[in-house]
Amino acid sequence: MTNAAISVDKLNVSFGDSHVVKDLSFDVRKGESYGLVGESGSGKSTVLRVLSGLNREWSGNVAIEGAVQPKVRDKAFYRNVQMVFQDPYGSLHPKKTVDDTLAEPLAIHGIGDAEARIGKALSDVGLPASFRFRYPHQLSGGQRQRVAIARALVLEPSILLLDEPTSALDVSIQAEVLNLLAALRQERKLTYILVSHDLAVVGHMCERLLVMQFGRAVEEMTVETLAARQPQTAYAQQLLTASAGFRRAG
Amino acid sequence: MTSEQPLLEIDNLKVDFHTPTGIVRAVRGLSFTLGRERLGIVGESGSGKSMTGRAILDLIPHPGAVSADRMRFRGQDLTTMDKGARRKLRGRHISMVMQDPKFSLNPVETVGSQIAEAYRIHRKAGAREARERSLAMLEQVQIREPARVYDLYPHEVSGGMGQRVMIAMMLIAEPEVLIADEPTSALDVTVQLQILKILDDLVTERGMGLIFISHDLHLVQSFCDRVIVMYGGKVMEALPAAELADTAARSRRHPYTLGLLECLPDLDHPRAKLATLNRDPAWLA
Repeated sequence: MTNAAISVDKLNVSFGDSHVVKDLSFDVRKGESYGLVGESGSGKSTVLRVLSGLNREWSGNVAIEGAVQPKVRDKAFYRNVQMVFQDPYGSLHPKKTVDDTLAEPLAIHGIGDAEARIGKALSDVGLPASFRFRYPHQLSGGQRQRVAIARALVLEPSILLLDEPTSALDVSIQAEVLNLLAALRQERKLTYILVSHDLAVVGHMCERLLVMQFGRAVEEMTVETLAARQPQTAYAQQLLTASAGFRRAG
Repeated sequence: MTSEQPLLEIDNLKVDFHTPTGIVRAVRGLSFTLGRERLGIVGESGSGKSMTGRAILDLIPHPGAVSADRMRFRGQDLTTMDKGARRKLRGRHISMVMQDPKFSLNPVETVGSQIAEAYRIHRKAGAREARERSLAMLEQVQIREPARVYDLYPHEVSGGMGQRVMIAMMLIAEPEVLIADEPTSALDVTVQLQILKILDDLVTERGMGLIFISHDLHLVQSFCDRVIVMYGGKVMEALPAAELADTAARSRRHPYTLGLLECLPDLDHPRAKLATLNRDPAWLA
Protein backbone atom coordinates (compact mmCIF):
# COMPACT_ATOMS: atom_id res chain seq x y z
CA MET A 1 0.00 0.00 0.00
CA THR A 2 2.38 2.70 -1.14
CA ASN A 3 -0.34 5.20 -1.97
CA ALA A 4 -2.05 4.88 1.41
CA ALA A 5 -2.32 8.19 3.25
CA ILE A 6 -3.36 6.40 6.41
CA SER A 7 -2.81 2.76 7.18
CA VAL A 8 -4.13 1.18 10.36
CA ASP A 9 -3.20 -2.40 11.18
CA LYS A 10 -4.49 -4.47 14.12
CA LEU A 11 -5.22 -1.43 16.26
CA ASN A 12 -6.27 -2.20 19.83
CA VAL A 13 -7.28 0.33 22.46
CA SER A 14 -8.26 -0.39 26.07
CA PHE A 15 -9.36 1.95 28.83
CA GLY A 16 -8.79 -0.01 32.02
CA ASP A 17 -10.89 -3.15 31.70
CA SER A 18 -12.88 -2.06 28.69
CA HIS A 19 -11.49 -3.02 25.35
CA VAL A 20 -12.94 -0.32 23.06
CA VAL A 21 -11.14 -0.91 19.74
CA LYS A 22 -10.45 -4.50 18.72
CA ASP A 23 -8.06 -5.59 15.96
CA LEU A 24 -9.09 -2.81 13.64
CA SER A 25 -7.39 -2.55 10.25
CA PHE A 26 -8.11 -0.24 7.33
CA ASP A 27 -6.36 1.84 4.69
CA VAL A 28 -7.24 5.27 3.39
CA ARG A 29 -5.90 6.26 -0.02
CA LYS A 30 -4.31 9.61 -0.72
CA GLY A 31 -6.96 12.18 -1.58
CA GLU A 32 -9.76 9.88 -0.49
CA SER A 33 -12.58 10.72 1.87
CA TYR A 34 -13.23 7.78 4.18
CA GLY A 35 -16.18 7.46 6.54
CA LEU A 36 -16.33 5.78 9.94
CA VAL A 37 -19.88 5.05 11.03
CA GLY A 38 -21.39 3.29 14.01
CA GLU A 39 -23.41 3.91 17.13
CA SER A 40 -22.16 5.50 20.35
CA GLY A 41 -19.55 3.31 21.94
CA SER A 42 -18.52 1.68 18.67
CA GLY A 43 -15.03 3.17 19.02
CA LYS A 44 -15.11 5.44 15.97
CA SER A 45 -14.08 8.60 17.80
CA THR A 46 -11.39 6.69 19.69
CA VAL A 47 -9.84 5.68 16.36
CA LEU A 48 -9.61 9.36 15.38
CA ARG A 49 -8.06 10.25 18.71
CA VAL A 50 -5.40 7.57 18.20
CA LEU A 51 -4.70 8.77 14.65
CA SER A 52 -4.42 12.39 15.77
CA GLY A 53 -2.06 11.52 18.62
CA LEU A 54 -4.48 12.61 21.35
CA ASN A 55 -4.70 9.09 22.72
CA ARG A 56 -1.34 7.53 23.50
CA GLU A 57 -2.51 4.22 24.96
CA TRP A 58 -2.83 1.80 22.09
CA SER A 59 -1.15 -1.11 20.39
CA GLY A 60 -0.87 -2.11 16.76
CA ASN A 61 0.47 -0.26 13.74
CA VAL A 62 -0.45 3.17 12.49
CA ALA A 63 1.30 4.57 9.42
CA ILE A 64 0.72 8.02 7.99
CA GLU A 65 1.93 8.45 4.41
CA GLY A 66 4.09 5.36 4.77
CA ALA A 67 5.79 6.42 8.01
CA VAL A 68 5.07 4.23 11.05
CA GLN A 69 3.91 6.46 13.88
CA PRO A 70 5.22 6.33 17.45
CA LYS A 71 2.86 6.87 20.41
CA VAL A 72 4.16 10.40 20.91
CA ARG A 73 4.20 12.32 17.65
CA ASP A 74 6.62 15.02 16.61
CA LYS A 75 5.82 18.55 15.51
CA ALA A 76 6.02 17.73 11.81
CA PHE A 77 3.19 15.24 12.27
CA TYR A 78 0.83 17.84 13.69
CA ARG A 79 1.62 20.14 10.83
CA ASN A 80 0.45 17.46 8.41
CA VAL A 81 -2.52 16.00 10.31
CA GLN A 82 -5.18 18.18 11.88
CA MET A 83 -8.51 17.48 13.52
CA VAL A 84 -11.90 19.25 13.62
CA PHE A 85 -14.05 18.45 16.63
CA GLN A 86 -17.75 17.88 17.00
CA ASP A 87 -18.77 20.70 19.26
CA PRO A 88 -17.88 24.18 18.03
CA TYR A 89 -19.12 25.55 21.36
CA GLY A 90 -16.57 23.54 23.31
CA SER A 91 -13.57 23.46 21.00
CA LEU A 92 -12.80 27.20 20.83
CA HIS A 93 -11.28 29.03 23.79
CA PRO A 94 -13.96 31.46 25.01
CA LYS A 95 -11.48 34.14 26.07
CA LYS A 96 -9.44 34.12 22.87
CA THR A 97 -10.32 36.04 19.75
CA VAL A 98 -10.47 34.32 16.38
CA ASP A 99 -7.11 35.96 15.66
CA ASP A 100 -5.51 34.43 18.80
CA THR A 101 -6.96 31.02 17.95
CA LEU A 102 -5.53 31.06 14.44
CA ALA A 103 -2.19 32.62 15.45
CA GLU A 104 -1.37 29.94 18.02
CA PRO A 105 -0.67 26.99 15.71
CA LEU A 106 1.49 29.29 13.56
CA ALA A 107 3.49 30.40 16.60
CA ILE A 108 3.96 26.81 17.80
CA HIS A 109 5.36 25.77 14.45
CA GLY A 110 7.46 28.90 14.07
CA ILE A 111 5.78 29.88 10.84
CA GLY A 112 6.15 33.53 9.90
CA ASP A 113 3.87 35.62 7.81
CA ALA A 114 1.01 35.09 10.30
CA GLU A 115 -0.79 38.24 9.20
CA ALA A 116 -1.30 37.03 5.63
CA ARG A 117 -1.92 33.39 6.55
CA ILE A 118 -4.68 34.21 9.04
CA GLY A 119 -6.34 36.50 6.53
CA LYS A 120 -6.20 33.79 3.90
CA ALA A 121 -7.46 31.06 6.25
CA LEU A 122 -10.48 33.20 7.12
CA SER A 123 -11.31 33.97 3.51
CA ASP A 124 -10.84 30.28 2.59
CA VAL A 125 -13.58 29.27 5.01
CA GLY A 126 -15.84 32.08 3.83
CA LEU A 127 -15.64 34.37 6.86
CA PRO A 128 -15.29 38.14 6.39
CA ALA A 129 -12.01 39.72 7.57
CA SER A 130 -13.97 41.74 10.15
CA PHE A 131 -14.54 38.52 12.15
CA ARG A 132 -10.87 38.33 13.01
CA PHE A 133 -11.12 40.14 16.32
CA ARG A 134 -14.35 38.61 17.50
CA TYR A 135 -14.73 36.25 20.44
CA PRO A 136 -16.48 32.86 20.05
CA HIS A 137 -19.62 34.08 21.87
CA GLN A 138 -20.06 36.67 19.13
CA LEU A 139 -20.28 33.93 16.49
CA SER A 140 -23.06 31.52 15.53
CA GLY A 141 -22.52 27.74 15.64
CA GLY A 142 -21.81 27.54 11.92
CA GLN A 143 -19.36 30.44 12.09
CA ARG A 144 -17.58 28.80 15.02
CA GLN A 145 -17.21 25.57 13.08
CA ARG A 146 -15.73 27.58 10.20
CA VAL A 147 -13.18 29.04 12.63
CA ALA A 148 -12.35 25.50 13.82
CA ILE A 149 -11.83 24.44 10.20
CA ALA A 150 -9.70 27.54 9.56
CA ARG A 151 -7.58 26.67 12.60
CA ALA A 152 -6.99 23.19 11.18
CA LEU A 153 -6.18 24.55 7.70
CA VAL A 154 -3.88 27.38 8.69
CA LEU A 155 -0.98 24.90 8.92
CA GLU A 156 -1.78 23.59 5.43
CA PRO A 157 -2.10 19.93 6.44
CA SER A 158 -2.73 17.17 3.93
CA ILE A 159 -4.93 15.06 6.20
CA LEU A 160 -8.01 16.28 8.08
CA LEU A 161 -9.69 14.16 10.75
CA LEU A 162 -13.32 15.23 11.10
CA ASP A 163 -15.19 14.08 14.20
CA GLU A 164 -18.93 14.66 13.59
CA PRO A 165 -18.20 18.14 12.22
CA THR A 166 -21.83 19.05 11.57
CA SER A 167 -23.89 17.12 14.10
CA ALA A 168 -24.25 20.15 16.39
CA LEU A 169 -25.49 22.37 13.54
CA ASP A 170 -28.86 23.07 11.94
CA VAL A 171 -29.45 21.32 8.61
CA SER A 172 -29.13 24.52 6.57
CA ILE A 173 -25.81 25.33 8.26
CA GLN A 174 -24.73 21.70 7.91
CA ALA A 175 -25.17 22.03 4.14
CA GLU A 176 -22.92 25.12 4.07
CA VAL A 177 -20.18 23.46 6.14
CA LEU A 178 -20.30 20.23 4.09
CA ASN A 179 -20.07 22.24 0.86
CA LEU A 180 -17.08 24.10 2.29
CA LEU A 181 -15.34 20.86 3.30
CA ALA A 182 -15.99 19.30 -0.13
CA ALA A 183 -14.65 22.36 -1.96
CA LEU A 184 -11.53 22.55 0.22
CA ARG A 185 -10.78 18.90 -0.38
CA GLN A 186 -10.99 19.31 -4.12
CA GLU A 187 -8.88 22.47 -4.12
CA ARG A 188 -6.12 21.17 -1.87
CA LYS A 189 -6.24 17.44 -2.61
CA LEU A 190 -6.86 16.74 1.08
CA THR A 191 -7.45 13.31 2.61
CA TYR A 192 -10.41 13.12 5.01
CA ILE A 193 -11.54 10.68 7.63
CA LEU A 194 -15.09 11.61 8.55
CA VAL A 195 -16.69 10.16 11.66
CA SER A 196 -20.45 10.45 11.63
CA HIS A 197 -23.60 8.71 12.77
CA ASP A 198 -25.49 10.14 9.80
CA LEU A 199 -25.30 7.77 6.84
CA ALA A 200 -26.63 10.40 4.43
CA VAL A 201 -23.79 12.78 5.36
CA VAL A 202 -21.22 10.02 4.91
CA GLY A 203 -22.84 9.05 1.61
CA HIS A 204 -22.56 12.63 0.44
CA MET A 205 -18.97 13.23 1.54
CA CYS A 206 -17.12 9.91 1.24
CA GLU A 207 -16.07 7.35 -1.35
CA ARG A 208 -15.75 4.43 1.05
CA LEU A 209 -16.85 3.80 4.60
CA LEU A 210 -16.31 1.40 7.43
CA VAL A 211 -19.18 0.29 9.67
CA MET A 212 -18.08 -0.35 13.26
CA GLN A 213 -19.78 -2.04 16.20
CA PHE A 214 -18.42 -2.66 19.71
CA GLY A 215 -14.94 -1.61 18.58
CA ARG A 216 -14.75 -4.02 15.66
CA ALA A 217 -14.91 -3.47 11.95
CA VAL A 218 -18.19 -4.92 10.71
CA GLU A 219 -18.06 -4.09 7.04
CA GLU A 220 -16.18 -1.87 4.65
CA MET A 221 -18.23 -0.71 1.70
CA THR A 222 -18.29 1.77 -1.12
CA VAL A 223 -20.77 4.60 -1.33
CA GLU A 224 -22.39 2.81 -4.30
CA THR A 225 -23.13 -0.19 -2.07
CA LEU A 226 -24.51 2.18 0.54
CA ALA A 227 -26.74 3.99 -1.96
CA ALA A 228 -27.97 0.65 -3.35
CA ARG A 229 -28.58 -0.45 0.26
CA GLN A 230 -26.84 -3.75 -0.36
CA PRO A 231 -24.50 -4.30 2.55
CA GLN A 232 -23.22 -7.82 3.19
CA THR A 233 -23.74 -7.92 6.94
CA ALA A 234 -26.89 -7.97 9.02
CA TYR A 235 -25.70 -5.19 11.32
CA ALA A 236 -24.98 -2.78 8.46
CA GLN A 237 -28.39 -3.61 7.03
CA GLN A 238 -30.01 -2.91 10.39
CA LEU A 239 -28.24 0.45 10.61
CA LEU A 240 -29.42 1.36 7.12
CA THR A 241 -33.01 0.41 7.88
CA ALA A 242 -32.97 2.33 11.15
CA SER A 243 -31.74 5.51 9.49
CA ALA A 244 -34.53 5.35 6.90
CA GLY A 245 -36.90 6.68 9.56
CA PHE A 246 -39.77 5.41 11.64
CA ARG A 247 -41.93 2.62 10.29
CA ARG A 248 -45.18 1.62 11.92
CA ALA A 249 -45.44 -2.15 12.19
CA GLY A 250 -48.15 -3.29 9.82
CA MET B 1 -69.25 14.65 22.53
CA THR B 2 -66.33 15.27 24.89
CA SER B 3 -64.16 12.77 23.05
CA GLU B 4 -64.51 14.90 19.91
CA GLN B 5 -63.28 17.99 21.72
CA PRO B 6 -59.66 18.82 20.87
CA LEU B 7 -57.15 18.35 23.68
CA LEU B 8 -55.50 21.69 23.05
CA GLU B 9 -56.77 24.76 21.24
CA ILE B 10 -54.29 27.55 20.77
CA ASP B 11 -54.96 30.80 19.01
CA ASN B 12 -52.43 33.56 18.34
CA LEU B 13 -49.87 32.51 20.95
CA LYS B 14 -47.09 35.02 21.55
CA VAL B 15 -44.00 34.79 23.70
CA ASP B 16 -42.04 38.01 24.21
CA PHE B 17 -38.87 38.52 26.18
CA HIS B 18 -38.51 42.06 27.50
CA THR B 19 -34.77 42.62 27.70
CA PRO B 20 -32.85 45.84 28.42
CA THR B 21 -31.93 46.06 24.73
CA GLY B 22 -35.46 45.61 23.43
CA ILE B 23 -38.20 43.04 23.00
CA VAL B 24 -37.21 39.64 21.63
CA ARG B 25 -40.25 38.05 20.04
CA ALA B 26 -39.67 34.30 20.37
CA VAL B 27 -43.13 33.19 19.23
CA ARG B 28 -45.20 35.52 17.05
CA GLY B 29 -48.80 34.43 16.73
CA LEU B 30 -48.98 30.64 16.61
CA SER B 31 -52.35 28.88 16.26
CA PHE B 32 -53.12 25.18 16.25
CA THR B 33 -55.37 22.52 17.72
CA LEU B 34 -54.22 19.16 18.97
CA GLY B 35 -56.38 16.05 18.99
CA ARG B 36 -55.41 12.47 19.83
CA GLU B 37 -52.62 12.53 17.28
CA ARG B 38 -48.93 13.06 16.65
CA LEU B 39 -48.28 16.69 15.81
CA GLY B 40 -44.75 17.58 14.73
CA ILE B 41 -43.23 21.03 15.16
CA VAL B 42 -40.07 21.47 13.09
CA GLY B 43 -37.72 24.37 12.64
CA GLU B 44 -34.12 25.42 13.16
CA SER B 45 -32.64 26.62 16.44
CA GLY B 46 -34.25 29.89 17.43
CA SER B 47 -37.46 29.22 15.54
CA GLY B 48 -39.50 29.25 18.76
CA LYS B 49 -40.48 25.59 18.74
CA SER B 50 -39.27 24.83 22.28
CA MET B 51 -40.74 28.09 23.59
CA THR B 52 -44.12 27.00 22.22
CA GLY B 53 -43.97 23.81 24.32
CA ARG B 54 -42.85 25.71 27.38
CA ALA B 55 -45.59 28.33 26.98
CA ILE B 56 -48.27 25.63 27.02
CA LEU B 57 -46.86 24.36 30.31
CA ASP B 58 -46.38 27.83 31.80
CA LEU B 59 -42.64 27.25 32.03
CA ILE B 60 -41.40 30.41 30.30
CA PRO B 61 -38.60 31.87 32.42
CA HIS B 62 -38.38 35.53 33.45
CA PRO B 63 -38.45 38.02 31.64
CA GLY B 64 -40.64 36.15 29.18
CA ALA B 65 -44.30 37.06 28.79
CA VAL B 66 -46.92 34.79 27.23
CA SER B 67 -50.11 36.04 25.64
CA ALA B 68 -52.75 34.32 23.54
CA ASP B 69 -56.23 35.07 22.24
CA ARG B 70 -57.18 31.59 23.25
CA MET B 71 -55.34 28.76 25.00
CA ARG B 72 -57.55 25.92 26.15
CA PHE B 73 -56.86 22.44 27.48
CA ARG B 74 -59.95 20.21 27.10
CA GLY B 75 -62.15 23.28 27.19
CA GLN B 76 -60.49 24.80 30.28
CA ASP B 77 -59.18 28.30 29.68
CA LEU B 78 -55.45 28.38 30.46
CA THR B 79 -55.07 32.14 29.98
CA THR B 80 -57.25 33.03 32.98
CA MET B 81 -56.11 30.14 35.18
CA ASP B 82 -53.99 31.02 38.24
CA LYS B 83 -50.48 29.65 38.83
CA GLY B 84 -51.64 27.02 41.29
CA ALA B 85 -54.18 25.54 38.89
CA ARG B 86 -51.63 25.53 36.09
CA ARG B 87 -49.22 23.68 38.36
CA LYS B 88 -51.89 21.04 39.02
CA LEU B 89 -52.27 20.46 35.30
CA ARG B 90 -48.55 20.28 34.76
CA GLY B 91 -47.14 16.79 35.05
CA ARG B 92 -50.57 15.29 35.78
CA HIS B 93 -52.44 16.22 32.59
CA ILE B 94 -49.87 17.90 30.34
CA SER B 95 -46.29 16.73 30.54
CA MET B 96 -43.00 17.44 28.81
CA VAL B 97 -39.98 15.27 28.02
CA MET B 98 -36.84 17.36 27.73
CA GLN B 99 -34.02 16.87 25.29
CA ASP B 100 -31.13 15.80 27.45
CA PRO B 101 -31.39 13.32 30.35
CA LYS B 102 -27.93 14.40 31.54
CA PHE B 103 -29.26 17.80 32.57
CA SER B 104 -32.85 16.97 33.38
CA LEU B 105 -32.47 14.21 35.97
CA ASN B 106 -31.44 14.93 39.55
CA PRO B 107 -27.86 13.63 39.75
CA VAL B 108 -27.95 12.80 43.48
CA GLU B 109 -31.14 10.73 43.52
CA THR B 110 -31.65 7.25 42.07
CA VAL B 111 -33.67 7.18 38.86
CA GLY B 112 -36.29 4.92 40.45
CA SER B 113 -37.00 7.26 43.33
CA GLN B 114 -37.40 10.13 40.87
CA ILE B 115 -40.04 8.20 38.94
CA ALA B 116 -41.76 7.17 42.17
CA GLU B 117 -41.77 10.77 43.36
CA ALA B 118 -43.67 11.82 40.24
CA TYR B 119 -46.28 9.15 40.93
CA ARG B 120 -46.65 9.99 44.63
CA ILE B 121 -47.12 13.69 43.94
CA HIS B 122 -49.67 13.30 41.18
CA ARG B 123 -51.53 10.24 42.40
CA LYS B 124 -51.26 10.79 46.17
CA ALA B 125 -50.04 7.23 46.51
CA GLY B 126 -47.97 5.56 49.21
CA ALA B 127 -44.32 4.60 48.92
CA ARG B 128 -44.87 0.91 48.20
CA GLU B 129 -47.49 1.44 45.52
CA ALA B 130 -45.33 4.13 43.92
CA ARG B 131 -42.38 1.74 43.79
CA GLU B 132 -44.44 -1.01 42.21
CA ARG B 133 -45.91 1.34 39.64
CA SER B 134 -42.44 2.73 38.84
CA LEU B 135 -41.04 -0.74 38.26
CA ALA B 136 -43.96 -1.55 35.95
CA MET B 137 -43.41 1.73 34.12
CA LEU B 138 -39.69 0.99 33.63
CA GLU B 139 -40.68 -2.32 32.14
CA GLN B 140 -43.14 -0.60 29.84
CA VAL B 141 -40.40 1.60 28.40
CA GLN B 142 -38.44 -1.61 27.69
CA ILE B 143 -35.84 -1.51 30.38
CA ARG B 144 -34.80 -5.10 30.84
CA GLU B 145 -33.94 -5.31 34.52
CA PRO B 146 -36.21 -2.74 36.16
CA ALA B 147 -35.33 -3.74 39.73
CA ARG B 148 -31.62 -3.20 39.07
CA VAL B 149 -32.06 0.03 37.11
CA TYR B 150 -34.39 1.44 39.80
CA ASP B 151 -31.47 1.83 42.19
CA LEU B 152 -29.02 3.33 39.72
CA TYR B 153 -28.00 6.99 39.75
CA PRO B 154 -28.33 9.04 36.53
CA HIS B 155 -24.56 8.91 35.84
CA GLU B 156 -24.72 5.11 35.86
CA VAL B 157 -27.20 4.83 32.99
CA SER B 158 -26.56 5.32 29.27
CA GLY B 159 -28.10 8.15 27.27
CA GLY B 160 -30.79 5.94 25.79
CA MET B 161 -31.68 4.50 29.15
CA GLY B 162 -31.73 7.96 30.74
CA GLN B 163 -34.15 9.12 28.07
CA ARG B 164 -36.40 6.13 28.75
CA VAL B 165 -36.27 6.91 32.47
CA MET B 166 -37.43 10.46 31.73
CA ILE B 167 -40.23 9.19 29.54
CA ALA B 168 -41.27 6.78 32.30
CA MET B 169 -41.29 9.64 34.78
CA MET B 170 -43.44 11.82 32.53
CA LEU B 171 -45.86 9.04 31.64
CA ILE B 172 -46.43 7.53 35.07
CA ALA B 173 -49.13 10.09 35.89
CA GLU B 174 -50.80 9.17 32.56
CA PRO B 175 -51.05 12.67 31.07
CA GLU B 176 -53.47 13.37 28.22
CA VAL B 177 -50.95 15.52 26.39
CA LEU B 178 -47.22 14.89 26.11
CA ILE B 179 -44.87 17.49 24.72
CA ALA B 180 -41.63 15.84 23.63
CA ASP B 181 -38.84 18.35 22.97
CA GLU B 182 -36.24 16.64 20.76
CA PRO B 183 -36.65 13.44 22.80
CA THR B 184 -34.40 11.37 20.60
CA SER B 185 -31.85 13.73 19.07
CA ALA B 186 -29.11 12.70 21.53
CA LEU B 187 -29.64 9.01 20.80
CA ASP B 188 -28.43 6.43 18.32
CA VAL B 189 -30.77 5.58 15.47
CA THR B 190 -31.72 2.13 16.74
CA VAL B 191 -32.47 3.39 20.27
CA GLN B 192 -34.29 6.32 18.70
CA LEU B 193 -36.68 3.94 16.96
CA GLN B 194 -37.41 2.08 20.22
CA ILE B 195 -38.31 5.35 21.96
CA LEU B 196 -40.54 6.41 19.06
CA LYS B 197 -42.29 3.05 19.20
CA ILE B 198 -43.12 3.65 22.88
CA LEU B 199 -44.52 7.11 22.12
CA ASP B 200 -46.41 5.78 19.12
CA ASP B 201 -48.09 3.05 21.19
CA LEU B 202 -49.22 5.62 23.74
CA VAL B 203 -50.96 7.64 21.05
CA THR B 204 -52.64 4.70 19.38
CA GLU B 205 -53.48 2.69 22.52
CA ARG B 206 -54.17 5.33 25.16
CA GLY B 207 -55.34 8.12 22.87
CA MET B 208 -52.73 10.53 24.14
CA GLY B 209 -52.03 13.75 22.25
CA LEU B 210 -48.36 14.15 21.34
CA ILE B 211 -46.52 17.30 20.34
CA PHE B 212 -43.22 16.17 18.86
CA ILE B 213 -40.68 18.99 18.63
CA SER B 214 -37.77 18.21 16.34
CA HIS B 215 -35.30 19.63 13.85
CA ASP B 216 -35.20 16.34 11.93
CA LEU B 217 -37.48 16.55 8.90
CA HIS B 218 -36.98 12.92 7.88
CA LEU B 219 -38.00 11.69 11.29
CA VAL B 220 -41.04 13.96 11.59
CA GLN B 221 -42.15 12.99 8.13
CA SER B 222 -42.08 9.29 8.96
CA PHE B 223 -43.45 9.56 12.51
CA CYS B 224 -46.04 12.33 12.75
CA ASP B 225 -49.56 12.81 11.38
CA ARG B 226 -49.34 16.56 10.89
CA VAL B 227 -46.44 18.98 10.83
CA ILE B 228 -46.09 22.66 11.65
CA VAL B 229 -43.00 24.30 10.13
CA MET B 230 -41.74 27.28 12.14
CA TYR B 231 -39.22 29.96 11.34
CA GLY B 232 -38.34 33.02 13.44
CA GLY B 233 -41.28 32.43 15.78
CA LYS B 234 -43.86 32.26 12.97
CA VAL B 235 -45.63 29.38 11.30
CA MET B 236 -44.44 29.04 7.71
CA GLU B 237 -46.93 26.30 6.95
CA ALA B 238 -48.91 23.44 8.47
CA LEU B 239 -49.37 20.28 6.44
CA PRO B 240 -50.00 16.53 6.64
CA ALA B 241 -46.67 14.80 7.30
CA ALA B 242 -47.05 12.52 4.29
CA GLU B 243 -46.96 15.53 1.97
CA LEU B 244 -43.40 16.32 3.05
CA ALA B 245 -42.22 13.18 1.30
CA ASP B 246 -44.40 13.72 -1.75
CA THR B 247 -42.07 15.12 -4.40
CA ALA B 248 -44.99 15.82 -6.75
CA ALA B 249 -46.49 18.17 -4.16
CA ARG B 250 -43.27 20.14 -3.75
CA SER B 251 -44.42 23.03 -5.91
CA ARG B 252 -47.13 23.72 -3.33
CA ARG B 253 -44.63 23.89 -0.46
CA HIS B 254 -43.54 27.04 1.29
CA PRO B 255 -40.04 28.06 0.11
CA TYR B 256 -38.67 27.66 3.64
CA THR B 257 -39.96 24.08 3.96
CA LEU B 258 -38.57 23.35 0.53
CA GLY B 259 -35.23 24.89 1.50
CA LEU B 260 -35.01 22.71 4.60
CA LEU B 261 -35.79 19.60 2.56
CA GLU B 262 -33.31 20.40 -0.19
CA CYS B 263 -30.31 21.08 2.01
CA LEU B 264 -30.41 17.56 3.43
CA PRO B 265 -27.96 15.13 1.87
CA ASP B 266 -29.91 12.25 0.32
CA LEU B 267 -28.52 8.80 -0.46
CA ASP B 268 -30.94 8.35 -3.34
CA HIS B 269 -30.29 11.70 -4.99
CA PRO B 270 -26.59 12.41 -4.72
CA ARG B 271 -25.44 15.82 -5.88
CA ALA B 272 -22.05 17.47 -6.03
CA LYS B 273 -23.10 20.50 -4.03
CA LEU B 274 -25.84 20.72 -1.43
CA ALA B 275 -28.44 23.46 -1.79
CA THR B 276 -28.20 26.15 0.85
CA LEU B 277 -31.06 28.04 2.34
CA ASN B 278 -31.81 31.59 1.23
CA ARG B 279 -33.83 33.28 3.92
CA ASP B 280 -36.37 35.80 2.74
CA PRO B 281 -37.02 38.67 5.22
CA ALA B 282 -40.58 38.82 3.83
CA TRP B 283 -41.35 35.53 5.62
CA LEU B 284 -41.28 37.35 8.93
CA ALA B 285 -43.19 40.42 7.78
